[in-house]
Amino acid sequence: MQDISLHLLDIIENSVRAGSRNIQIRIIKDTNANFLRIIVSDDGIGMDPMTLERAQDPFFTSKTEREKKVGLGIPLLKQNAELCNGSFKIRSEPGKGTVLTAEFQLDHIDRMPLGDLKETLLSAIVGHPEVNFSIILNSLDKDKEKSFHFETAPIKEELGDIPLTYPDVIKYLEQSINEGIQITNMEDV
Amino acid sequence: MKTLADLKKIREKAQEEMKLRDGKVRIKIVVGMGTSGIAMGARDVMKTFLEEISNRNLTDVLVTQTGEKGLSSMEPVVDVIEEGKPKVTYGNMTPEKARRVVVEHIVNGRVVSDYVVATGD
Repeated sequence: MQDISLHLLDIIENSVRAGSRNIQIRIIKDTNANFLRIIVSDDGIGMDPMTLERAQDPFFTSKTEREKKVGLGIPLLKQNAELCNGSFKIRSEPGKGTVLTAEFQLDHIDRMPLGDLKETLLSAIVGHPEVNFSIILNSLDKDKEKSFHFETAPIKEELGDIPLTYPDVIKYLEQSINEGIQITNMEDV
Repeated sequence: MKTLADLKKIREKAQEEMKLRDGKVRIKIVVGMGTSGIAMGARDVMKTFLEEISNRNLTDVLVTQTGEKGLSSMEPVVDVIEEGKPKVTYGNMTPEKARRVVVEHIVNGRVVSDYVVATGD
């Protein structure tokens, strides 16, 4: 994965495969405390402690497990976070869901860029119309705090049987997400 | 700022159009978005399909995502599903190839045999 936004898409896809109906994506950029934090929480099937441990270990994932569970995505993200003085955590409970947190030192020289966040979010939202997404972007810079909150459930309710890949709807979603990214200065992170 | 009122207008317009063609989705595109697919560029392929649908105003096409399907060496992989026809799977996709699939297959109904890696279920 070349950037954090691609890792994020991979993590979201894990949540979708875990049967989640609601996925919350939170991205916090804090220049004061010098971190970039990504939090993905879902209400999917969750993992027991043993599966959770295996999900983080690249050498424990055999091919048959890989087909039904998670593959190299999580260990790679963990490695990338830890390589730049960050941290990585997953909390999970079977039947309840999973919360994954990856943190990067914002100004670390080895930190991969955030990348094209808009494409990741747009792709996940339209690619999984059955899932409700809640997106929260926060940026803290000196004493300025900016935030953006985007929910897909009311949009789908308003659209009724019109698909999310209807041309004007794609444009609507794209513009909305773009505005949020600009408001919170997440374009070139 | 975009509002729900903008969406209402879109919905009304879309419903008019759907009445004209019985509300049917003519063709479905499914992009494989597993870990290896993403690492090989599946998101850019997805982006291209969305751009083309939006620019060409293709109102009867649906795009969704799925996980890995055991075709890792041919990622990014894309299925094109049309009612009453066998499923066509394209492999080693790029944005350029996706554009050609839209023009030749989605718009003009001719399968792009150069990129096909599997057909049927």
